[in-house]
Amino acid sequence: MSRSTSRAILIPLASVALVFLAWALIIRLFAVDSFVAPSPLEALGAVREDWGVLWPLALRTLEETVYGFAAGAALGFVLAVLMSQARLVRDLVYPVLVGSQAVPIIAIAAPLVILLGFGILPKIVIVAWIVFFPVAVSVLDGLARVDGDLLALARAMGGSRWRVFRVIRLPATVGPLFSGLKIGATYAVTGAVIGELVASTGGSLAGYQRQANSSLDTAAVWGSTLLMTAIGIGWFLLVVGAERLATPWRTRSTRRRLGFGASRRTTTDPGDAP
Amino acid sequence: MAATTPKLVVERASRAFDDAPALAPTSLAVAAGEFVSLVGPSGCGKSTLFNVVSGLLAPDAGRVLIDGADATGRPGSVGYMLQKDLLAPWRTVLGNIVLGAALTRGVTAADRAEAAALAVRHGLGGYLDHYPHALSGGMRQRVALLRTLATGRDLLLLDEPFGALDAQTRLGMQRWLLEVRAQTGSTVLFITHDVDEAIFLSDRILVMGPRPGAIVDELAVDLPRPRTLAMATAPAAVEAKRRILATLHGEAAT
Repeated sequence: MSRSTSRAILIPLASVALVFLAWALIIRLFAVDSFVAPSPLEALGAVREDWGVLWPLALRTLEETVYGFAAGAALGFVLAVLMSQARLVRDLVYPVLVGSQAVPIIAIAAPLVILLGFGILPKIVIVAWIVFFPVAVSVLDGLARVDGDLLALARAMGGSRWRVFRVIRLPATVGPLFSGLKIGATYAVTGAVIGELVASTGGSLAGYQRQANSSLDTAAVWGSTLLMTAIGIGWFLLVVGAERLATPWRTRSTRRRLGFGASRRTTTDPGDAP
Repeated sequence: MAATTPKLVVERASRAFDDAPALAPTSLAVAAGEFVSLVGPSGCGKSTLFNVVSGLLAPDAGRVLIDGADATGRPGSVGYMLQKDLLAPWRTVLGNIVLGAALTRGVTAADRAEAAALAVRHGLGGYLDHYPHALSGGMRQRVALLRTLATGRDLLLLDEPFGALDAQTRLGMQRWLLEVRAQTGSTVLFITHDVDEAIFLSDRILVMGPRPGAIVDELAVDLPRPRTLAMATAPAAVEAKRRILATLHGEAAT
């Protein structure tokens, strides 16, 4: 937990501070009226003032994001694995994948709300709709990129198709999976907010923002936008953290020893055939 | 074990790709415990022959017998190692050594213990928990060889395993390979285009001619074991080198 760790935290914090500083300077330099655009302090102040209202709404948005993200990630992963198994499946499904992303998400939101009601379900579907695509494409790519010589070696070692898949191909997708998840993580909140906008019943961050907008409370408009952004960043950071835990070989030179693993080291002497 | 069956027999195996012959009908036999090298120009079909022997590639004609049993086009009965170490980056050294068990029946505690013992015996005991990216090229090739040994197959196919290493590391690896083999007694079929390497390691050398590959010369390396570096300049080694170079380059290399 040394210099590199503190650098990894301090530098991103500094870059956030710089953005806020630039924002404040622009407001000051161009003497922008606070009814047109608030300074960062005013926007943050609006969030703090209304925290009691905003906090449960933020939790709801986070909930939609998380469920939709999990559903989309699972769907994308399963689709990629199925597509990698048979050319026919891949050729059939790929155009549908691309087509799904060509549909403007904001346009599909309204029909989805009509279909699925005003509850959490349409939001989850919209987030999943956005997230599954980068996951499917990354994992499919990862599966295709597994070294052919490694697969040949695995077969030469006597590995069955299923074993080769489980022991070689599947672990090889973990890295690409997280590349897809990270792309999806930043977009996921956008999906949830689009769902809230279309199915706005008031009890949502998007609904709050719309209300603030109509009462010309620009500080609250910007403040709620900041809150949505913070949810997206927070979710992204969680995914990055999960990636570090799931791919220790990328950042560490040895495996972390768990308590029960220690016995392994002592089993080196006996039992081997001469 | 009267009239011992050879470990490996290849009977007139041939293979073409898209009507272009890559391997002319080739026959060879390797006795149990023997170290045989295959030397030849690049593109001469060495690797095709290897894939045929490993069972990954079915020959158009001919047979492969391992311990007298037909193994033509049937992978899973030989240990196999290439120039690329092909270690799984997400597995530790120990995890890579037990890969064969993971691929065939699942890894048991006994497999792990045996793999650890193997690693300790051959100088990798301090690296069991390391991921491959933390190791040097030479160390990774050692892990790759131990992975091959841990499958328990006593016929090893090594396809230019040290080809990507620098000269110094390579020499160390050759001596290490001989030590390992002296302990395990494995039968080795070794591909290389380094004539000195073939002479230093082998009991017998097969020389392949250019495409389509066929064995054009065969010679025994008349040097005692254990081999030492000084033997490289022994008359038998020099004579072997002269003869192989003459065969490969079609002229008297005096």
